[in-house]
Amino acid sequence: MSKQIKVALIGNPNTGKTSVFNQLTGLKQKVGNYPGITVEKKEGICKLPRGVKAHILDLPGTYSLNTTSLDESVVVELLLNKNDKDYPDVAVVISDVENLKRNLLLFTQIKDLRIPVILVINMADRMSRTGISLDISLLEEKLDTKIALVSTRKGTGIERIKELITDYKNLSISPNIDSTVIAPEYFDKLKATFPNEDLYKLWLVITQDVNFMPIKRNPISIPSSFDTKSKSELKRLQQKETILRYQFINGILKQAYKVDLNVAKGLRATLDKVLTHKIFGYAIFFIILLTIFQAIYDWSSYPMDFIDELFASASEWVKDSLPPGVFTNLIAEGILAGIGGIVIFIPQIAFLFLFIALLEESGYMSRVVFLMDKLMRPFGLSGKSVVPLISGTACAIPAIMATRTIENWKERLITILVTPFTTCSARLPVYLIIIALVIPEGRVFGLSYQALTLMLLYLLGFGAAILSAMILNKIMNIKSKTFFVMEMPNYKLPLIKNVVYTVWEKTKSFVLGAGKIILAISIILWFLGSNGFSDDFTNAETIVKNRIENQGYTDFHKSNIENSLQSYSIALKDSIDKKVYTIGQASIIDSLRTKETSLQKKAENEEIASYKLENSYMGYMGKAIEPIVRPLGYDWKIGIAVLTSFAAREVFVGTLATIYSVGSDEEETIKNRMAAEVDPKTRKPLFNMASGISLLLFYAFAMQCMSTLAIVKRETNTWKWPAAQLVFMSLFAYIVALIAYQILK
Amino acid sequence: MDILQHLLVYITVALAVGYLVNKFLIPKSLFSGKKRNNKACGDGNCGCH
Repeated sequence: MSKQIKVALIGNPNTGKTSVFNQLTGLKQKVGNYPGITVEKKEGICKLPRGVKAHILDLPGTYSLNTTSLDESVVVELLLNKNDKDYPDVAVVISDVENLKRNLLLFTQIKDLRIPVILVINMADRMSRTGISLDISLLEEKLDTKIALVSTRKGTGIERIKELITDYKNLSISPNIDSTVIAPEYFDKLKATFPNEDLYKLWLVITQDVNFMPIKRNPISIPSSFDTKSKSELKRLQQKETILRYQFINGILKQAYKVDLNVAKGLRATLDKVLTHKIFGYAIFFIILLTIFQAIYDWSSYPMDFIDELFASASEWVKDSLPPGVFTNLIAEGILAGIGGIVIFIPQIAFLFLFIALLEESGYMSRVVFLMDKLMRPFGLSGKSVVPLISGTACAIPAIMATRTIENWKERLITILVTPFTTCSARLPVYLIIIALVIPEGRVFGLSYQALTLMLLYLLGFGAAILSAMILNKIMNIKSKTFFVMEMPNYKLPLIKNVVYTVWEKTKSFVLGAGKIILAISIILWFLGSNGFSDDFTNAETIVKNRIENQGYTDFHKSNIENSLQSYSIALKDSIDKKVYTIGQASIIDSLRTKETSLQKKAENEEIASYKLENSYMGYMGKAIEPIVRPLGYDWKIGIAVLTSFAAREVFVGTLATIYSVGSDEEETIKNRMAAEVDPKTRKPLFNMASGISLLLFYAFAMQCMSTLAIVKRETNTWKWPAAQLVFMSLFAYIVALIAYQILK
Repeated sequence: MDILQHLLVYITVALAVGYLVNKFLIPKSLFSGKKRNNKACGDGNCGCH
């Protein structure tokens, strides 16, 4: 097997490294129009001309090799360690044509490490619109490198990168700048002490701890004869080095980079002024949020109804077509009901991700981050905490990983601890089904109460996150605050391909990721609900039939039969009056009797199913936890659903769908099943305003995601914090839900 | 036929229990000797949910 060329993609944040990576490797890693998307290295293989292959490594964005945070240190750790298995044969520095000056600082530093470097100038498609012209050959000559002018948006220039990587051995490795001039005496001594080492690499090793502490490395054994400098002195020298580099870059760009100011229009500035305005900015964001939540409701109702009906029919079809037996029941009542409980939410999840993708792609999300930074500072949160909190609306796991950009450990820890409060997509199915059951369908100013409730829940999650951060900030007593410097990306028309891909991937991940757990839990729950060890379970049919014979139906079924019979009688009379049927009195009585018998049979079956379920394994488990959930307004079935959703929140709906369909002959939609549930004690619908709000609040605050706990453990390197998170959030959720139910009941 | 249906149910339940135990209770490092790969997190394969 021929040796692969090891390539490292390096560059400032938001220069399109991952887009270049995707186009080179054919992979589809997440891209976005805001910084901090890549916080870990990603790998892929690229086929080059002449049958050569390259191993491509996409590294987190960094502004220079003087690291200030954990994600940036990944780059430096790699470039300073020749023994690393990923140490590159060639570095490809990705830059943005509009920010070339700043991007070249990193380029010159890597060049001075004597690593072959290719410069990629990305976003070339924006040159004509922004009046930029480049003299590529002059740039190549002055920077002593090869350049590829690329537009990942249009897919141009990628072949040029491949050619340059293939011929990387022809690249010059001479440094751009002689950094020793910033302190000649110091560097002379350094040279004398370490005659065999590269001077610039030594300088970077020595200065790594100046801005950032937690990198674990073997200390350099410095002979006592060498006079080390203090941190402040080293910092001053670092600044001198940066100035020297910018002088060099300015000199080159003066000749090779021109901007026609007449062409560069002020649309971006005008838009920024409005979208980040201290009043209009928030108002616009609020309106956008309202529109999104309203659209989620309005647009997805038809496909959701369709899916719901589809699964109900599928269950019926399975029961009718397959041989009768327990396995057929498992498919119809367990598997299809459980999976249907999550698939129904695909339209709403897809619309939510569509809007998030559009906001990210257009560049608006960065303005939101800027706005939120201002809003959150008084609560003691770092500006850099905004990106994790906003991306937490999709999933808390990548959001917690995104905290790696925060330099200060305590600030990072606080952000990790509060991020699970933000409303992730897993909460959405629970919110949607409960809102549909307990919030009326009316509208105010064209906005439905249900959409407004959903938005309130999102704001509640965000509010809980920043309030908890404020409390933690006071407890942990953080003095130093990280300043948030973020580059505003340009506004772009979202690329349909990227948007569609993001929506597809996120929705697929939601359905498949959660779907497997829901499927497994549904199967187990069906089994526990369909089997039991007691005589009451085994003889359920005889016991219930005897009870009906001696005491009649339960109050609920009695009134249900009476009401249904009355409605049927009225409808029948109406049809006869309108001459739809022409039947005699005897036939009318006969028809009413037949209807009554069928209603009684249905009631009998439901009472048997309910009795069996109560005496099944699941019934015993549910009854055991009922005393804990009863004060919140939940029965034992909801208690089971809450318990299983500690694995993942979205399991809640699938669990209830399975529980309610165990033993049921009627193939009903999930919403109808839940709406028909009656509290045996109060004889009122189980899902009412009080229990519904209590459930919504419980799910807004409870920590019910095992994967998030695992990632918090990984990021904090101890079980202490995830355990504290689980206990605090669950207790808090319980208390809030309890108060809400006791007030509203 | 009835025995077959019962057998299929037991197999399915066993598979479901096995899947959940493997996902939540057994650390991946137990078998592979390596830490769990989270490189693709955020892109659909992160084990969220």
